[in-house]
Amino acid sequence: MPQTLPDFSNSVKLKYVKLGYQYLVNHILYLLLVPIMVAILIEVLRLGPDEILNLWKSLHFDLVQILCSSFLIIFIATVYFMSKPRHVYLVDYACYKPPVTCRVPFATFMEHSRLILKNNPKSVEFQMRILERSGLGEETCLPPAIHYIPPTPTMEAARGEAELVIFSAMDSLLQKTGLKPKDIDILIVNCSLFSPTPSLSAMVINKYKLRSNIKSFNLSGMGCSAGLISIDLARDLLQVHPNSNAVVVSTEIITPNYYQGNERAMLLPNCLFRMGGAAILLSNRRRNRSRAKYRLVHVVRTHKGADDKAYRCVFEEEDKEGKVGISLSKDLMAIAGEALKSNITTIGPLVLPASEQLLFLMTLIGRKIFNPKWKPYIPDFKQAFEHFCIHAGGRAVIDELQKNLQLSAEQVEASRMTLHRFGNTSSSSLWYEMSYIEEKGRMKKGDRVWQIAFGSGFKCNSAVWKCNKTIKTTTDNPWSDCIDRYPVHIPEIVKL
Amino acid sequence: MTSEMITYICKRTVVSTKPAQAGKCNPLSVFDRLMEKNHIRIVYYFPSTRNGEPGVVTKKLRESLSHVLTCFPIVTGRLQKKDDGHWMIKCNDAGVRMVEARAQGSVEEWLKNVNRDKELMLVTWEDMFHKPYFWATFYVQLTEFEEGGLAIGFSCSHLLADPTSATMFVKAWADTTLAGTMLAPPFFHPLPPPRLGNKNPNHNPYTDLINHYKSTIDDRSPAFTNNITNYVTATLAFSGPMVQACMLDTSRPSPFEAMAGLLWVCVSKVKGMKQGLISMSICLDMRKQLGLDKGFFGNCLVYNKVHHAESLLDKSELSEAARAVGESVTKMNNERIMDLIEWLEHHDYEFPPLMNGHDLICANLEDLDPYATLFEEGFVPIRVSYYVEPVFGIGQILVLQSPPSEGPLSRMVMVTLPADELSKLCDDDLILRFNPTILMG
Repeated sequence: MPQTLPDFSNSVKLKYVKLGYQYLVNHILYLLLVPIMVAILIEVLRLGPDEILNLWKSLHFDLVQILCSSFLIIFIATVYFMSKPRHVYLVDYACYKPPVTCRVPFATFMEHSRLILKNNPKSVEFQMRILERSGLGEETCLPPAIHYIPPTPTMEAARGEAELVIFSAMDSLLQKTGLKPKDIDILIVNCSLFSPTPSLSAMVINKYKLRSNIKSFNLSGMGCSAGLISIDLARDLLQVHPNSNAVVVSTEIITPNYYQGNERAMLLPNCLFRMGGAAILLSNRRRNRSRAKYRLVHVVRTHKGADDKAYRCVFEEEDKEGKVGISLSKDLMAIAGEALKSNITTIGPLVLPASEQLLFLMTLIGRKIFNPKWKPYIPDFKQAFEHFCIHAGGRAVIDELQKNLQLSAEQVEASRMTLHRFGNTSSSSLWYEMSYIEEKGRMKKGDRVWQIAFGSGFKCNSAVWKCNKTIKTTTDNPWSDCIDRYPVHIPEIVKL
Repeated sequence: MTSEMITYICKRTVVSTKPAQAGKCNPLSVFDRLMEKNHIRIVYYFPSTRNGEPGVVTKKLRESLSHVLTCFPIVTGRLQKKDDGHWMIKCNDAGVRMVEARAQGSVEEWLKNVNRDKELMLVTWEDMFHKPYFWATFYVQLTEFEEGGLAIGFSCSHLLADPTSATMFVKAWADTTLAGTMLAPPFFHPLPPPRLGNKNPNHNPYTDLINHYKSTIDDRSPAFTNNITNYVTATLAFSGPMVQACMLDTSRPSPFEAMAGLLWVCVSKVKGMKQGLISMSICLDMRKQLGLDKGFFGNCLVYNKVHHAESLLDKSELSEAARAVGESVTKMNNERIMDLIEWLEHHDYEFPPLMNGHDLICANLEDLDPYATLFEEGFVPIRVSYYVEPVFGIGQILVLQSPPSEGPLSRMVMVTLPADELSKLCDDDLILRFNPTILMG
């Protein structure tokens, strides 16, 4: 039976059968309701109006019964509305656009690499091969301290970069949303690799003179998926605090983490990580409901840290010469695939339409009971979401996910183009991808967006947003000067 | 002591703001390829600006440099050898090197005590690497003086630019900083091709010019393999009336010819020539003769030996020298240069020559107009010095424009000679007759 199925699926007839099946299962309730309503209508017509009036009079209601019933209904309604979780809205967000003078073309990167690692031509060769296949473009940016020969990653330079990125993103957000700094109730900053004292959130509070009773959090060390962890934290806080605004700042500070040694596994992040940041405003205030861009529907977090291999696959350590770097293990892709499967298994029932869930369940039962050789059914997530934002961790990550989820080239376009234009900006890359989709004019009211991020640990986190209103293209976003050039074709190997 | 006066802050690479078109390559012309062993260094001195904060001016200039580099993909490219073994520039967007430095004191104080070695510390330069593909061909150094003033040091390989092109680049940079647009965009195209058809069969190529080049190329004398001579540079400023007097004395219509003649006679004397003059070549910009636009970016300097009549009376030695220079200048016309280009196209050489390695070189850099380089409204450079390095052989004379406040006829002459000869030169009677102000040396 498995052999004949692929032939069928190519035919047009099966497509219509599938469509019919999906419509049937997804709207089963309505389809069952229609005959019941028709039956009642026929019965009513048959009885005639006099009979109905007699039926009504035969029901004896006295005052106590009526009062108790009303109270019961009101009580149930109140409990229902009070226990419903508050809706969390994303009012707007702003992504940081690095200055053009921080641009790092491939040739400059390779030349600096050669000048700094002059005693290790093999390491330089390795970096060149990575860069050729990385999927990055010629416009990605590194912070000023890394442009020096040799780089000067001092703490002062790192703070300088943090101030530049975070304050620019915050200024942009405050201007876009008209938010006053004193109205920020919750502040969450996430930056994995740079964690000074006082924290970056304290730095923001100091700069913008935020209120003294602000609830501030600083998440560090949580990797590239920390952006969605912050969103999750903000959501939980907004359930507890009514009528509040939460600002989430996601960034990664590159300056202190430029690896200056020779270990190959640790040179990889140098080639991929680039400067970037985003500031997001979340709110549960009712008056923001109409002007918010998105509503947060689900956040699903999966942590594979219990497995030793997963725990060690992205590991910051010292190399033989004592230089600190982040080492990426060779099973990174396999572990990412496992984490993704785990995440999908949890998010699937929450978002997939009934038709897909039924098919998945049936193939699961079939494999367990009838024939284990049946291919596992991969649910078609394209039916659950209109847009996909896959963390631009590297070309391999996007390729792997495109294969696993069977996505089309257009659906991963936002991720690929963000990797090309901005590089791997860690936790903020998801927001550059959202911005890309919006600027291409593809975001319509009611569209559902799926953001997936991977991070050290090993974690796979995803968030589902529903678009609240059709978004018009603007000029104050990081893509404004280059969106017309995209999408570009990114060759497999760029000859350096 | 000088090393304490200047502190180097950092070295970095500055890239253009827009990515260069991928895969573009520019071959070098025959004139370019001859200059492989040389490099140019220019220093611009600017007076103090209102902006007192250290580092602000440097940042602004760095950003405007990024913008201007977008229009000069050759400047940010790297050298590579073509299949036929000749150099070309691969426009790979690698950028220029920039060094930032701080100096003690003010610009005016510095200029009072400056000499060749000190001045060269304001211009960073790195000789060609073993693998030239990773070697930056252009270098910029910004030195801010703590008590006011700025020195911009600009150096580049002579393979890509001659002093005219280098000055044009810095001017474009200044225009971009000042107004955001360039007033004279550059032209990157090859030299005029040889004429085809209607060639006079009896046409004799100008053998003198070609012979001069041939002998320079074939000259493998050890003169330029060991550089133990201690060269010193002096800057002599001749005021307008003095230059005019010299022109009258020599009855030459051009200040360059007069100045060249004067220096030729004086240098010959200090070299110990009792009779006659030492061998000298002049170096002129041939853009006009070849019909090229002033914005032509690349090498267009041609060297020509000056021939003089051997026997002459002492009195008219100066006029004879100037006349000989004038004759050499007239002989460099379009037809003869085209012949030279054609000869160079067909004549391959194994080792690049050192064009300024033997004779006394006298270069005419009068028309460069470096004092029009304004980075900020109203701030004209106090002084601009040029160096064509390395100097070998007898020595080098560069005839430059003076600051505009001195008048259109005044000239600044930078003379590079061995140390003892230069001091003799500055005391020579003939030179002192024209009352030069010794600005340096």
